[in-house]
Amino acid sequence: MLTGERVPSQAELIAGVVRFVGEILGASSLRFEVGPTLVILGIMLVFLQLVARPVSRWVTSDAGGLAGLGRAMALAAEAGTDAVVSLGTAGVARSTDAHSRLQTLAALPVLGHVARAAARSGVPLRVLTNDPLAGVAAAATLDSAHAITSTLERVGRSRIVMVGEGRQAAGGLVMTTRARPAAAVVAGSLREEATLHLEGLRGSAGSLAAASAEVAQAPALLLSGGGALIGPEAYQVPADLRAEVTERTMVMAANRLIFIAVAVLAIGSALALAGVIAPQDLLLGIGRE
Amino acid sequence: MVAVVGVLLLADLLLVNASLAEIAGVAIDAAILVAAGAALAAVASLALRRAGDLVRRRGDPIGAAVVLGGMAAVLIAGLRPGANGSSDPAVGWLVSALLIPMGATLFALLFVTTLAASRRSLATRSREATVLVTAAVVVLVLLLPIGGGVGAWLSGAAGWALDVPIGAVFRGMLVGVAILAAVLAARTVFGVGTTDE
Repeated sequence: MLTGERVPSQAELIAGVVRFVGEILGASSLRFEVGPTLVILGIMLVFLQLVARPVSRWVTSDAGGLAGLGRAMALAAEAGTDAVVSLGTAGVARSTDAHSRLQTLAALPVLGHVARAAARSGVPLRVLTNDPLAGVAAAATLDSAHAITSTLERVGRSRIVMVGEGRQAAGGLVMTTRARPAAAVVAGSLREEATLHLEGLRGSAGSLAAASAEVAQAPALLLSGGGALIGPEAYQVPADLRAEVTERTMVMAANRLIFIAVAVLAIGSALALAGVIAPQDLLLGIGRE
Repeated sequence: MVAVVGVLLLADLLLVNASLAEIAGVAIDAAILVAAGAALAAVASLALRRAGDLVRRRGDPIGAAVVLGGMAAVLIAGLRPGANGSSDPAVGWLVSALLIPMGATLFALLFVTTLAASRRSLATRSREATVLVTAAVVVLVLLLPIGGGVGAWLSGAAGWALDVPIGAVFRGMLVGVAILAAVLAARTVFGVGTTDE
C-alpha cells in the first residue's frame, strides 16, 4: 500500500495482495457444493503429484514399436522416400468431443519424436491432418524438431498436408495415394474410418505404428499389423518416449531392484508368518557373535 | 502463459465470481478468435497453394482443380446474394447429395478392408490378432439366427459374453482412458512436458 512518500515495504505488498485475494474470495461463491469442490481439488492434487514427474517410470517396453523408428528412417534415407505421420481425424478446433481432440494434443509429442528422428536422418516428413489448428501446431512441432537437431536447412522438405474436412476424407486419401513412405505413424483419434485409414497406410508404408484412445476402434489397431497403442496407452506414450537406450536400461534396473526388494519382503513375511524365522531375533542377531 | 490460463479457467470452474468469469470469457473468446483466424488462414493458404499448382502445372493439377471447384461451389452456394449462409438449401444439398454419399461409399469398403486385415493378420500369425479373430468368430456363432432351445442358449450366451467379459474389458479400458486423459489434460494445463532428448 502506498503511503504517499515512500515505496511500500514487502510486508505492505503482501498485505495488499492478501487483502485483494480476500476481497475477491469474499465477493465469490462456490459453483458446486463443498464436497464436490473438495473432490475436484483433491483430484487436482493427485494429478499434481503425477504431473510433477511426467516421465513414466515403470514402463520399459517398446511403446508401439517406436523404437524401430531409427531403422525405418535409415531405410527411408537410403531409399530416398519419406515418412508419414497422421494426427488422426479429430483435430483441435473441429466440432468433435474433447476426448478426441485431446488425443490430437497427445499426438504432438509423438510427432516431435518422429520429426527429430527424421530430421537427423534427412528424411522428409509428411504430416496428415484435417484441421487447420492441428496443422499449425504440427508445423511448430516440425520447426522445433529441426531447431533442436540443428537441421533447419531441411525443414522445407517436410510438409503439412490438409486432407480435407471429414473423417472419411483422410481414409480416402491414404487409400488412394501413390506415395510409398518408409514408415507411417498414426497418432490421434480414429473413429469409423480407422480400418480404412490404417489399411491405406499399411498397404503403402514399410512399417506402421498406430495409437488411438478410441476404445471401440481397438480391433482396427490390432488388425493393422503394426505396433499398436490402444486405449490408455495412447495417452501414456508421450511419457514413455525415450531417445536414449541408457534411460530404458536404468528404468529396467531400478524396476528389478524394486522387484527384488518386494520379493524379499514377501518371502520374509511368509517365513515369519509360518514361524520359520523370528524377525526380531534375526535383526537383533545381526552383528552379534 | 498456458499455466496461468489453465489455473484461471479452473478457478472459474470452481468459483462464481463476476470478475473472474469476465477474464475467463476474454481468454476463451481469444482462443476462439485465434482458431477462426487460423482456419481462415489455412483455407486461404490451401486455395493459393492449389491455384499455384494449377497455374504452374505442378503436382496434381486435376486434384487442384477439384479442390478449387469444390471450394467455389460451396462459397457461391452460401454467399450468393440472398443466401442463408451455411443453412442455405443449396449448401445443404451439396452436403446431403454429394458429401454424405461419397463418405458412405468409402465406409462401404469397411467390410472388405476388415476382412482383408483379418486375413493378413492371421497370415502373419499375430498373436493378438489371432485371439481377436477367434473371439469374433465365437461371437458370430453365438449370434447366429437359430431357433429353438439351441438358439435360445446361444442367444443367452451371446448376451452373457457381451455383458460380462467384453463389457468388463471395455469398461476397464474406458476407466484407464479417463484417468490418463485427465493426467494428460492436467499436464497440458500446467505446461508440464517431457523431452526425450
